[in-house]
Amino acid sequence: MTTQTQTQQIQATTVPARRRSAAGLSGHRFAGPLFASPALLGLAIFLVAPFVLALVLSFYRVQLNSPRPARFVGFEQYSRLFTDPDLAAAFGNALLNNFTFALIVVPVQTVLALALAVLVNRKLRGMVIFRTFIFMPLVFPLALTAVIWRLIYSRGDQGLLNAILGLFSGGSFTSHDWLGDPSTALGSIIVMSIWQSVSFQMIIVLAALQSVPTELYEAASLDRANKWAQFLNVTVPGIRNTLIFVALITTIFSFRLFDQVYLLSRSGSVDRASTETVMTQIINTGFDNNNVGQAAAMTVIFMLIITVIAIIQRAAARQRGGV
Amino acid sequence: MMTIPKSPSRVRTLAAAAAVSIAALALTGCGGPETRSTGSTGTAVAAGSGEGTINVWAVDGQAAENDALKKIISNFESSQSKIKVNLKLFPSDQYTKAVNSAAPGGLPDVLDFDGPTLASFVYNGKMAPLKGSVSDATLSNQTDSIKSQNTVDDAVYGVGMMNAGLALWGNKKLLDAAGVAYPTTPERAWTADEFTGVLDKLTTVVPGGKPLDLSEQYGFAGEWGTCCSAGPVIWSGGGTMLKDNKASGALDSDANVKSLTQLASWKKYTDPNADGLAFTSGRVALSWVGHWTYPTYKALGSDLVSIPLPNFGKGTKTASGTFAWGMGATTKNGAAAGKFLDFLMSDDSVRTYTDANGAPPATKTALAASTLYGPGKQLQLLGDQLSKACGTENQINDACVSVTRPVTAGYPVVTDQVGKAEAAIYAGKDAKEALAAAARAIDQNFADNDGYKK
Repeated sequence: MTTQTQTQQIQATTVPARRRSAAGLSGHRFAGPLFASPALLGLAIFLVAPFVLALVLSFYRVQLNSPRPARFVGFEQYSRLFTDPDLAAAFGNALLNNFTFALIVVPVQTVLALALAVLVNRKLRGMVIFRTFIFMPLVFPLALTAVIWRLIYSRGDQGLLNAILGLFSGGSFTSHDWLGDPSTALGSIIVMSIWQSVSFQMIIVLAALQSVPTELYEAASLDRANKWAQFLNVTVPGIRNTLIFVALITTIFSFRLFDQVYLLSRSGSVDRASTETVMTQIINTGFDNNNVGQAAAMTVIFMLIITVIAIIQRAAARQRGGV
Repeated sequence: MMTIPKSPSRVRTLAAAAAVSIAALALTGCGGPETRSTGSTGTAVAAGSGEGTINVWAVDGQAAENDALKKIISNFESSQSKIKVNLKLFPSDQYTKAVNSAAPGGLPDVLDFDGPTLASFVYNGKMAPLKGSVSDATLSNQTDSIKSQNTVDDAVYGVGMMNAGLALWGNKKLLDAAGVAYPTTPERAWTADEFTGVLDKLTTVVPGGKPLDLSEQYGFAGEWGTCCSAGPVIWSGGGTMLKDNKASGALDSDANVKSLTQLASWKKYTDPNADGLAFTSGRVALSWVGHWTYPTYKALGSDLVSIPLPNFGKGTKTASGTFAWGMGATTKNGAAAGKFLDFLMSDDSVRTYTDANGAPPATKTALAASTLYGPGKQLQLLGDQLSKACGTENQINDACVSVTRPVTAGYPVVTDQVGKAEAAIYAGKDAKEALAAAARAIDQNFADNDGYKK
């Protein structure tokens, strides 16, 4: 009798419990996809769908603002991109400009961001003012700063850079056309670009620096490690993941390089080929020449290149125990 | 307008477009394969009752222009009681897109358009021919230069209140200081070689040693380069951009190579004018730019003189053409729309509008009566140039001056490639190579679109 009531009691308690857990389980089954759905929807609308559309468009001859129906041309847009002497040269040149930009900007900007962060991380009076000054370029819109940089790079003695160089060299420096000369055009854009965005990376590194525990520095100084040794053995390992992250996003920013080139060289009388990047070329092809099919093919190839680079970078970072 | 310095908003739009370029590219083109409406819808214009409300689309221009347009509309409405006007203004960088994406039935009765976009609108079946709706008096009062812009395949699709023109603006004080005599009529324009000599003389009288401004701040690699910098040079040298709808053999001709190389040789005399103040601050003696700088340049007072652009062999040439008015292809109220266009082209309306923006009037009677461009007035040269219209580039002769930009739906490619080539030549690239590459790109695109024939 007692065992019976006991079992009944157990049943009475377990049944609702089982019910609850069943309800919970079914909830769990939908909770994951449910919570992920806004992000997945966003990815689908803004990333997957456009890419699929670009892929489709790249097989067509499509002209914007044209009453002609799109014509299926198979791989023609791709074969033109690689075999047409004009197009292949232009696309290759744009890719080369992108790679040159990335090869210089990624290391220089990451190291510079680290150096600046270490510099403004000291507890000196008035440091806030320094931080503000270094952060300022990022606060101004690029369209605004580009106007100033055009004046800086302007050829002739009116150009600010030429004027300063002339002053310091005692007049022996003759004025140079920084943006107009193909040999210095990309370099000028690199300098402006680093000036504009290094402070963003600096802020990220600075936040990481401040999260390195002070005990580690104290321990290191007890071991009589000098400042340089502390920097190499405490600071750098402490912010390693952040540095990898900074290098990653700088790489991505370098490949989508557009604004600086557009603003600095399109408005001047500059040979466009000397600073053309894949992004400016895609916009130019798709929206100035209205040749959407060709632009879509460029986009697809560019996307593949970026994907490969991202995979290599991730693998390299992971191998060394990073993020 | 013939050219407008890039506005920050446009730059920002493009920068934003870059950020989402992949998305934008695909989304804008997504109507591509599936939903291309077939062009030439024919002329579904109905004359209608000649009364009621007509819809008007226009570009949101300078504040003074908008005010003038609203004033003209209110004058129109008070001059008669049957027709009301419903005006809608679009931001300038959205306008062409708005017209292009409008369904045939969604087009207004009357719409504003920029000269070089007309051929594309006609190609897409967006515009109706004006004959029959607009009065013959209005059509015959249009100056030849604006008529040539507004004519596609021998039919007139637009009427214009204003026009645009180019000149070398001179600083008389500096020219006199250098002992340079300057021409005041198109016939006596400096030859390109004479012009080099003039620049040599002027070098000594300007502070920076660079006496010429070619409006580099607008950028050659774009519409300014094609319409207003490379264009006049090419046409004046006896060349064209297109010949029989082909660029190879026309754009890369030896004449064009020679003319544009000569233009590039003046770079050493040229102030980059990055601040836009070269002329008004007295840094240069000559400025190659359009009529639209007159409101700022008139600060020089009586020292401001207008000089024809240099002659590269076939007489001085200038570009002409700007915004004009036409009728939507499917208007059901053609008679009322025509009456409104007639009113827009009346001397009073044209005067109100061109007084507001300083542009040369595009109607014969208003041009003759202009206090700025008329005979004996300060900008008579620009008025003269506009009355000596060549038509399109295949009709150029030695005596005419104002040339209409190529009238083709493929104009976006032409202007992009010509501007790009000019900028490259100006930066020191071999002219033959740059022009041949541009010609190949244009021909490829034309071939892909069956020559943009209807």
